[in-house]
Amino acid sequence: MNDRKLARKAASIVRKHARDKPVHIRVEDRVVYLEGAVSSYEEYVRIGREAGRLKGVRGVVSRLSFPEKMERKRPVGKKECIGEADVVIVGGGVVGCSIARELSRYRLRVILVERAEDVACGTSKANNAMVHTGIGEKMGTLKQKLCVKGHQMYKKITDELQVPYEQQGLYIITTRDSFAKTKIPGFLGNFIAKHIVPLIILRRAKKLGLPMKRVSRKELLENEPQVTERALAAVYSPTYGITCPYLFTIALAENALANGVEVMLDTEVVDITVKDGTVSSVVTTRGTIDTSFVINAAGLYADEIADMAGAREYTIHPKKGATLLFDREASALINRSLSILLFPRTEHYKGGGLMKTIDGNLQWGPTMREVFDPTDTSVTAEEIQAIFARYSLLAPRFPKNAVIAYFSGLRAATFTEDFFIEASRRVKGFIHVAGIQSPGLAAAPAIAEMVLDILRGEGLELERKTAFNPYRKGPPVIRHLSPAERERAIAENPLYGKIVCRCEEVTEGEIVDAIRAPIPARSVDAIKRRTRAGMGRCQGGFCLPRVVRILSRETGIPAEKIVKNGRDSHLFVGKAKCLLEGECEN
Amino acid sequence: MKTDVVVIGGGPAGLAAALKASERVEVMLLERGEELGGILPQCIHHGFGNFIFQKMLTGPEYAQHYVDLVKQSSIDVRTETMVLSLDGNCRIMATNPREGLVEIEAKAVVLAMGCRERTRNQILLPGTRPAGIYTAGTAQRLINMDGLMPGKRVVILGSGDVGLIMARRFTLEGAEVEGVYELMPFPGGLTRNVVQCLHDYDIPLHLSHTVVDIRGQRRLEGVVVARVDESFTPVAGTERFIPCDCLILAVGLIPENELTRGCGIEMDGRTGGPVVDECMETSVSGIFACGNVVHVHDVVDDVSLSAERAGMCAARHAEGNGEKVRRNIPLLPGENVRYVVPQRLSGAESMPITLYLRVMEAAENVNITVSSGGALIVEKKERVVRPPEMVKVELPAESVKNIAGEVRVDVRK
Repeated sequence: MNDRKLARKAASIVRKHARDKPVHIRVEDRVVYLEGAVSSYEEYVRIGREAGRLKGVRGVVSRLSFPEKMERKRPVGKKECIGEADVVIVGGGVVGCSIARELSRYRLRVILVERAEDVACGTSKANNAMVHTGIGEKMGTLKQKLCVKGHQMYKKITDELQVPYEQQGLYIITTRDSFAKTKIPGFLGNFIAKHIVPLIILRRAKKLGLPMKRVSRKELLENEPQVTERALAAVYSPTYGITCPYLFTIALAENALANGVEVMLDTEVVDITVKDGTVSSVVTTRGTIDTSFVINAAGLYADEIADMAGAREYTIHPKKGATLLFDREASALINRSLSILLFPRTEHYKGGGLMKTIDGNLQWGPTMREVFDPTDTSVTAEEIQAIFARYSLLAPRFPKNAVIAYFSGLRAATFTEDFFIEASRRVKGFIHVAGIQSPGLAAAPAIAEMVLDILRGEGLELERKTAFNPYRKGPPVIRHLSPAERERAIAENPLYGKIVCRCEEVTEGEIVDAIRAPIPARSVDAIKRRTRAGMGRCQGGFCLPRVVRILSRETGIPAEKIVKNGRDSHLFVGKAKCLLEGECEN
Repeated sequence: MKTDVVVIGGGPAGLAAALKASERVEVMLLERGEELGGILPQCIHHGFGNFIFQKMLTGPEYAQHYVDLVKQSSIDVRTETMVLSLDGNCRIMATNPREGLVEIEAKAVVLAMGCRERTRNQILLPGTRPAGIYTAGTAQRLINMDGLMPGKRVVILGSGDVGLIMARRFTLEGAEVEGVYELMPFPGGLTRNVVQCLHDYDIPLHLSHTVVDIRGQRRLEGVVVARVDESFTPVAGTERFIPCDCLILAVGLIPENELTRGCGIEMDGRTGGPVVDECMETSVSGIFACGNVVHVHDVVDDVSLSAERAGMCAARHAEGNGEKVRRNIPLLPGENVRYVVPQRLSGAESMPITLYLRVMEAAENVNITVSSGGALIVEKKERVVRPPEMVKVELPAESVKNIAGEVRVDVRK
């Protein structure tokens, strides 16, 4: 479809959903630009999504305003030049850090800038840790291609970086509820669920070269006694993997750092200067970095970053996913991750399931809900109820009172609902790596390779450096050591014998390691992500005061100024008696 | 390493159990923290020891009494020592900074790990996850031990005793306590605490209320509270936003029984603790339990008393005198009884038995009966019984001797 045809189609979508609304449509280079105002966020999303589905459309940029819209205040940048780089990566999530590590193989000056006080603070920390195989993605999409490839790269890369990764396997299950909400009559629905759906999945698997096999209802119930009696059939995917997304991201960043990449945390990009159609510098809250290449891996804020360079070809609409996390004791009732197929399927939602984490906790989720606020990581009462309702269909007898935590993550989706990875056609040197939603974690290693090819194509000279070291030595995890290794570790460092977090058996030595790591933990949550202190059943009730004390002792930051997770998240208002003496910190 | 009795936990239960056992045998006391006393050192208010010492002590004073006695005793105390595993043969694996891994073989073990606080997650409170949300016990430790002030405008959810005490504590520290909100139609703590901690400081108590939303990204900005109906469902239209920077949760305590379950000991779903007999012995021979591991107590005096029983019986077991004919008579909660401890009677030792029970519903002028097969064993009258206040019934030693079938406890008008 050419631009004129696309504009006509887009106009009819707007007429359908927002008749009489002041909406202006423009199409350029197969990107649909929408401007004006609509009456609700729902309308905004509907129009964007339908435009995103048009055949041949490359992107949808929606600048439509809606009543709930909030303008985010952007901090002020600093003009003063603080460095020069061949490549600046914006965003320290799993994608940005994968690219940073890949680039660190070459003789380049690379700077990664991240707004938060740590890497893996956005979508990369709040997902279900699944290293998908690609079976659940739409055939022929870029995300499927990169997922299949990325999945194959995981074993090697996690070995090199000493990050936990296991191919624990996944059951994809159909039940008598699979077609209950469709118009298909019951007996026919059950027949399709039992016989046809597994066949379709197996045929897809064959096409993708994935080893999957059919499992009878009997075998499924024997292996997974918690699964509903209403189960009809299952397909087993033995290579389905899990990792720890934040440990993986931290390891990538640390390895990149060790190989010469500069990582600037607590640094927000506020502008990108373009001269004669080419990127010339990145303005941040710390100062300006001169560069001719910018990689936009800013996740939920990728559209804002692209705007700064005048290179926007997409709009991010965050899709929230809420997940409940269960105590390990109860979680042991389930052996492998389980997913349930329920039709009709919500678009661009694989449906979640009962997913094991690498630490043995079970997750129920995630849900999917469109939200306009890219910071909305709340878990609502409705979401909690929806999770129980949906996944109880799969494991009705599971002890639901064993919840120890819940969280929400936001998927950084574009309206075309595929990854958007290419060099900007408008601004030379600006590389889009946007729209990375699930299976972004699995795809990340392959995305990094693809970005390298793009950079090469754009004229960046890539010369391998001999000094590159792909290996990273991770800190010891005391609870995983054999008794003899543990004895030795404690003899060398007695702090490895002092348990701080009882629930997760984390020692003071491990907490000190996290604080002294190459990318140092500076907040209670940063320590939690690295060590699991506070992640167990008591959720930090016991260890929080102790972690605060250790963090203060090691960093010299007064205890009353310790934060939970970065700026403005102070844990205390001051020292005791501060309210009586009028000397509050916060 | 070998010893007679290992006591796991150096709080009030562990201290009393170790002291009692050390009168007869060799005892090792393992404590995961840096000091003995458990939760008591942070409980700087008074009200401890009313029963045992006949005076009002503070938590640290109460603990110090036992700590001093332990120091004078022959007990082998190991602090900073965390038990990693326990098996059914009283074999323990522990770790500490000085010895690395320690393997201990004991003749008897006393479980005295105490309890932990229920978190916001276990009661499924919706909303964001900002800084400024603490359980009451954690807040108590932060203020009283670490000298850190968690917030200045405080909402307290739950009216358990620690919540009430923290309402007063925050007020005395200069913070504003907006109110205490309780899901149930009655307060969760002792009446004396409602009076001394809320009424005396004009802190409102809102019964049949809960928090329905938590707001704020980085630091807590406020909570939404609402009234609940009889089925504890929030009533639409009663929501009220309260700006605050601190939410304190006093929504219940959970006995810490990971080690207990780990060695296959039979548990009581009502108490959250192991099933014990009048010797405080669990279903695994030689493993005893006491204090809040068994069920959550109201006052520390009862913890100490039950621990002394456990310590004494563990020592006798270690001496080889514990081999008894177990009659295993079930002791069952009957009408208006939520739970009763002990859950079994072995009848092996001739000694008076204290039954601890909680009622399901408040009632006045009740008759508490302990009976077996219709035959009355003991009867007691109480003017008022309330779910938050534990009821004690004494069974004289000789009364248990002739019991054959199951025993039940009823609370009737």
